[in-house]
Amino acid sequence: MRAAPPFEALQLQACRGESRFALFHAAHTLPGGAARGQVVYVHPFAEEMNKSRRMAALQARRLAAAGFDVLQPDLRGCGDSDGELSDTRWSDWMDDIAGAASWLRQRRAAGTDAPLCLWGLRAGALLACEAARSRATQIGPCQFLFWQPSMQGRQVLQQFLRLATAGQWARPGATAGSSPTLEALRRTLAQGQAVDIAGYTLPADLAQGLSQATLAPPPPLDPEGGDLAWLEVAPTLDDPTGGAAAPALLPASDAGVSQWQAAGYRVFTQAVTGPSFWQSVEIEEAPGLLEATTQAMQAMQARVGAS
Amino acid sequence: MIEERHVLALLDDVLSLGGRSARFTRDTPLMGAIPELDSMAVVSLITSLEERFGLLIDDDEIDGATFATVGSLVDFVARKQAA
Repeated sequence: MRAAPPFEALQLQACRGESRFALFHAAHTLPGGAARGQVVYVHPFAEEMNKSRRMAALQARRLAAAGFDVLQPDLRGCGDSDGELSDTRWSDWMDDIAGAASWLRQRRAAGTDAPLCLWGLRAGALLACEAARSRATQIGPCQFLFWQPSMQGRQVLQQFLRLATAGQWARPGATAGSSPTLEALRRTLAQGQAVDIAGYTLPADLAQGLSQATLAPPPPLDPEGGDLAWLEVAPTLDDPTGGAAAPALLPASDAGVSQWQAAGYRVFTQAVTGPSFWQSVEIEEAPGLLEATTQAMQAMQARVGAS
Repeated sequence: MIEERHVLALLDDVLSLGGRSARFTRDTPLMGAIPELDSMAVVSLITSLEERFGLLIDDDEIDGATFATVGSLVDFVARKQAA
């Protein structure tokens, strides 16, 4: 018997006659069986998307093997999707995420109730959160899975703009003023013009949408409350006695977790030791995160199934 | 309290040094001496320092000298934390 293909490459229909490239990992279920859950992966921004592709693929495969349908769309202007980043609007990205959720829901086997989960890495978590907020009707009730979530789009934008200015520190002897200042870049965007940074042309509308995005929890659409799994990786840090310190969430994350709990979400958190694979110089894998995520997702579905 | 070993752990992580940072001392040169430390890695490093230690680093607080050696970077982080 031929093994099921690990994934399919699809073209999802999007606005204005465009299409979006997506990878779909079908849940491994017995014939007649249904997926236990459906997941839309929302990728991070710019170079982080490229660097984290392998980890995202590895996790998608693991989730599929654990019984989840996983859809990984490239947002407009990113990866292999239609459209240029330079004329992409924030609302296009919101529509792309909503469209991916719709595609999965339509695929759901009749009579089954597999919950939808939005899985975001870094800025992808912000996008997932904002999409759930602004496209609530189309996306419907959903769970959330955050990997190292960025909590403020403003910070993501600043980190991206820094790429333009960092060149002056990286080149010994480079004169001050040889690179644009953060202030000048912000002025350009405020005037409605795009900025060119590290090979990316970032349009003003997208920058604005990003700068206004926060990880504030959307109200759970399920009267029984919502579910969030918040996972991070931390580098190995030996303590002075020679042992390894247990990894912990980033300091700012605790406030975010509390905010989601206060909004009516059951929140599972875990920090595992591993490389910051979305930004490290070499493409890295974090096996601990793969394992922890699969277990967290299984637990989240078990809770839903039991209620 | 941020110590040298915390900063070294971040360097090792961002630059994919695979543990090489264990041999670094305060005098170990960074900028210009480690090929992996390009402008993109510098930004990642600043991001990590901000997020892991809860710092806010302004553009004009950094110059080429900040990343000259392990010591200069550790001193910069310590100054930021004390502020």
